[in-house]
Amino acid sequence: MPFKRLDQTRPFVTLALIVGAWLLIPTAIKTLTRATFFELTAPITITADYARVLKEYWSLRLHSKDELIEASRDLARLNSSYELAVQQNVELQSEITRLESLLRLPSFSEYRYEHARVARRDFSGWWQRIVIRKGKNFGIPPGAPVVFTGGVVGRVTEVYATTAVVELISSPNVRLAGVVEGDARPLSFQGGINPTFAPPTGVVEFMPLDIIATTQSPKRLVTSGFGGVFPPGLTLGTIVRADSGNDGLFKSGEVRLDERLGSLTEVTVLVPLANLGGR
Amino acid sequence: MRRALTLFATLLLLWTVIGQANHALTGWRVYLFAGGLFVAFAALTQPHGPGLAAALMGGLLCDATTPVTFGTHTLLFAAAHVVIFHIRDRVPREDTIASVLVVLLTNLALFLIFSFSQIHDSPAPAAVWPRLMADLACSQIFLAVITPWFFALQAKTMALAGPGYASTG
Repeated sequence: MPFKRLDQTRPFVTLALIVGAWLLIPTAIKTLTRATFFELTAPITITADYARVLKEYWSLRLHSKDELIEASRDLARLNSSYELAVQQNVELQSEITRLESLLRLPSFSEYRYEHARVARRDFSGWWQRIVIRKGKNFGIPPGAPVVFTGGVVGRVTEVYATTAVVELISSPNVRLAGVVEGDARPLSFQGGINPTFAPPTGVVEFMPLDIIATTQSPKRLVTSGFGGVFPPGLTLGTIVRADSGNDGLFKSGEVRLDERLGSLTEVTVLVPLANLGGR
Repeated sequence: MRRALTLFATLLLLWTVIGQANHALTGWRVYLFAGGLFVAFAALTQPHGPGLAAALMGGLLCDATTPVTFGTHTLLFAAAHVVIFHIRDRVPREDTIASVLVVLLTNLALFLIFSFSQIHDSPAPAAVWPRLMADLACSQIFLAVITPWFFALQAKTMALAGPGYASTG
């Protein structure tokens, strides 16, 4: 009978030993194990994405020639308007450079644009992140900002051999400084509340009392450029609600983020040019 | 070792399926959590050593691909494995409904413990619970549907790996 009792407790003793051993294992070994297991899954993630690309390709092949002609006509129109915008952009850029040299202002950080396909989206109530199909092989550095047509996506948190992990601005772990468009006073933005079947949201804190935002007259929240990670002026979201805080000194509010964050397929990583030497 | 690695191969397949389902569901802001399925079959049908090894490897796999303290899934899965293994003689293991119930209860426990360990990062923890409850409901429905298939897959894979591997050695 005592032998049977001992036999029954053996799994719990094993568990206690595992927990004890886990606490004693050096961090370096844990980091290595984590990287190893992530790299083990990388080919699966990438292969699944290639399969999705192939599926999209075959579904696009089903479009008729008339539809393709229409699409190319629309694209040609769009391209002509973009060409005009590019010319204006070059003009404005040279004006900025001239003013910077005249006023001896520090110039903004410059970036290389690295477009990457989203291999995996992983959005839970606890975290919001994506895996992109570019990593150390394309010189992606940790901490690099990631953008898409709707504004800021997030920042690179982990970089592996052929993939990188991007934490989205809707994630509760992301906190950054923003400003209301046309205003220079910084606010604190944090992602985190992502209700089911609804667009992602975030919260702003330390908002000046004179800023009024409602669903009828929302305010656009953009990056401030402070901290040097994100360039200034990129869209974070729209402030749709602002209430006075408990201290009466600042307001806090709700930010509605771009709904397209939930269906990202392509993003652009802004690689600081200073990092190019490290490739 | 072969038994543990075979079990791990099936867990890798499960991780892939869940990952692809979650990728497709991001537009609806729904997330499926299937921690219970990572441990239940091995704990119910396999010897303690290889089953625990598979649960640990499954936990490491989940830890490596999520932004949690490394070891969170591993230790939770190990604890769940030990508890199920301890009570498995009192569970009608051959019965599909009983297996599904074990998976659902394990998943519920793991989900709640995991949520309490992660929710502190949220700017408004109370506001996150409706989302978590919706995810839990979807996960449980999803698990109730796929558990019989996944158990059958694991049993077949174990039978292919070696004679007598499909059940307790």
